[in-house]
Amino acid sequence: MGIINYAPKILDPIPGGKYVVNAIDYVVNWARANSIWPLTYGTSCCAIEMMSSSMARYDIARFGSEVFRSSPRQADLFILAGTITRRMAPAIQMLWEQIPGPKYVIAMGACTISGGPFIYDNYSVVRGAQNLIPVDVFVPGCPPRPEALFHGLLTLREKILKETCRHPWHEGKPKDVSTMDRYREAAKTWAALEEMKDEAMAEARAKFKEEHPDYKSAYKPVRVKKEDFPEVPRVPFKRFGLTQSELFAKLREKFPKVTVHTHSEDPIEDVVAAIPADRPLEVMVEPEDYLSIVEFVKSSPEFNMDYLIDVTAIDYDDHFDMVTMLRSLEHGHKLFLCVQMKKDFSIPEEKRATSLLASVKSISHLYPGAEVKEREVYDMFGINFEGHPDQRRIFLDKDFVGYPLRKDFTHPQMIRRPV
Amino acid sequence: MPTLPPGFRLQRETNTEEFFINMGPQHPSTHGALRLALRMDGETIVELVPHFGYIHRGMEKQAESMSYLQYIALSDRQDYLTAIQNNLGVVIALEKGMNVGVPEKGEYIRVMLQELGRIASHLVFFGCFGGDLGGQTCLLFGFKEREMIHDILEEVTGSRLTTNFFRPGGSRYDVPETFIPRVKAFLDHLEDSMRDYERFLSKNIIVLERSIGIGVLSKEDAIAYGCSGPVLRASGVNFDVRRVNPYSIYDQFDFDIPVFHNGDCYDRYKIRIAEIHESMKILRQCIDKFPKEGPWRSKEKPVRLPEGRYYSEIETAKGLYATYVVAATTGEKPYRIHTRGPSFPHIAALNKMAQGHKISDLVTIMATLDPVIPEIDR
Ligand code: SF4
Repeated sequence: MGIINYAPKILDPIPGGKYVVNAIDYVVNWARANSIWPLTYGTSCCAIEMMSSSMARYDIARFGSEVFRSSPRQADLFILAGTITRRMAPAIQMLWEQIPGPKYVIAMGACTISGGPFIYDNYSVVRGAQNLIPVDVFVPGCPPRPEALFHGLLTLREKILKETCRHPWHEGKPKDVSTMDRYREAAKTWAALEEMKDEAMAEARAKFKEEHPDYKSAYKPVRVKKEDFPEVPRVPFKRFGLTQSELFAKLREKFPKVTVHTHSEDPIEDVVAAIPADRPLEVMVEPEDYLSIVEFVKSSPEFNMDYLIDVTAIDYDDHFDMVTMLRSLEHGHKLFLCVQMKKDFSIPEEKRATSLLASVKSISHLYPGAEVKEREVYDMFGINFEGHPDQRRIFLDKDFVGYPLRKDFTHPQMIRRPV
Repeated sequence: MPTLPPGFRLQRETNTEEFFINMGPQHPSTHGALRLALRMDGETIVELVPHFGYIHRGMEKQAESMSYLQYIALSDRQDYLTAIQNNLGVVIALEKGMNVGVPEKGEYIRVMLQELGRIASHLVFFGCFGGDLGGQTCLLFGFKEREMIHDILEEVTGSRLTTNFFRPGGSRYDVPETFIPRVKAFLDHLEDSMRDYERFLSKNIIVLERSIGIGVLSKEDAIAYGCSGPVLRASGVNFDVRRVNPYSIYDQFDFDIPVFHNGDCYDRYKIRIAEIHESMKILRQCIDKFPKEGPWRSKEKPVRLPEGRYYSEIETAKGLYATYVVAATTGEKPYRIHTRGPSFPHIAALNKMAQGHKISDLVTIMATLDPVIPEIDR
């Protein structure tokens, strides 16, 4: 459209040329504002509402935006539907750059406005799309209803209709990803403003009290009467497969060192028998025994633990608990193995945050599904898996510093949740 | 690194060279921000490596500073196609810790909303499956009925998508009087339209050609990778948490667990259609037995869990959804909450299914796995 932008220069000196320019504006804007083709892009929840809005009930075609293009080169509008993570940020900038101008951006949902539900204690979410690319319209909501998206679309339409040859659309610049941390500045300014407001309010209140010493509010608080509900007992749980005592006894026979976590002095068999039926048996095993126990419970026909539910870990001050959840599809019983691993404190203190503090044997040759789960534990806790075929970070970038699910993890981008 | 299956041969006669294709993270058929690196020989996939983390939102870290109740709202955002089911998964774990039960009416509300959520998710699958095979009309059809479920959910929970509805001991509100008639009307409508839809896809020659024998996952592999839900049952394993560890009141209903044995894309499609019918069966029984009177939730208690570890598992539309809550001290905040989503193992097994197929078949396979990426990355 470059040539049209010269229209005012050429036509304005001619008598009546003004009207011709206005006419051109009218035609161009009419065309632009009535066929805004969005890019098929969605990362999470908001994308489903975006899809809903293009379907039969809401029918985005009424606004001329039904043609969702899969290629950015054919799109005009970038609806940012869904949370933006730091890992996705470069991809978003690249997509935006690939869309030919004039291009517009709608930030849909709380996540793309400010980070939404993921503001506090978060190390991976970008707090607002405006930190990456210029945004034209913000649509609040979590997720916004399709009607809200349409309102955003109409607002964008208004904006497009205001563009003229004399004030043409102008291309903004993508923001430098490294400056994404401007949120902290903004938060400081915000806090200062809040403080000022509080002071002003307090002053005003004091002044009001002085002027009206015996003022009484006519408002009486009403309390909604709470319904009374009965207490309901829990329904007993139907058990399948071996009971916890049986499982434990059989395991102990073979591996005498296994125990369960308890604070009481009772004999361990009684403790196991007292576990409610709806809770799986969680046995503590030594790291050295771990692999052989898993091999045993997988191959023994009595246990037959052929299904791996999950592998996860918990970080404590001086040790990790790694929990491997197994179940038997044939019998129906479950067994959780909890490996307690002492943290390796021989590593100097300043290096601990970035180094692997514990190590355990990998079970991914027994359960192929464990491969990704162990990668997740490695990524989040920094536990080394010996013999893992492909130990890489899974959710975070290669160069990410630290292991986020450790309790002492800090990240420059993290904002603590106010208590 | 994953390697080639034994017996796999590159078709050297065609004289092609190996090359790499990057699919995603922004690609319409990866169902979200998933990146697949493909090693190709001509049009044949030699090896596939999924890269996760493009929508890793750090929910588990956040959960450590949240209260239990706040976390229920976060669980909506994991598998957002069936947010109502995730809510239940978290709430059951909390109930185990608090030792509260749910009155009969509350349980009926739970089961009905669960099954509505399952139908809603499977309808999205129906739409996306058709859409990915080139029939965009299916998308319109799938979402048409889904909107009706959204209406019901909105009336009951106040929100279309992110419901945040269940609470330990019951739910946030009672259902309105219109709930039962609406569900009934919806079921009558769905029965008719499902007949049409099945005629539309199930015997469609394009669907048959593109899905039978494609992406076969053997029974052994499905178990080894930890697949669950329709993907596992399409491979011939009869495993459904509603049957093997009944939660809520699922043991009081008469319904079947459909099991198919080929493990290919077509079976994974058929099984979901069959599950919609089973869900309708459960809903009809619920409507008949729905208690008019009686409390819908138990006595309200502060949500404080005693020290311990609590585990719950439920069957969502995608499979086994487990929540593992660790309470280090008695209190309102968890020490750690971990979620096991069903889609993660499915994508891990994708390499097994896609090897040796063409790249257009990969789109079909992805569609029948019906993954939700934010639930993998969390
Ligand atoms: S704004 Fe809410 S619904 Fe939208 S992507 Fe973020 S969390 Fe999901």
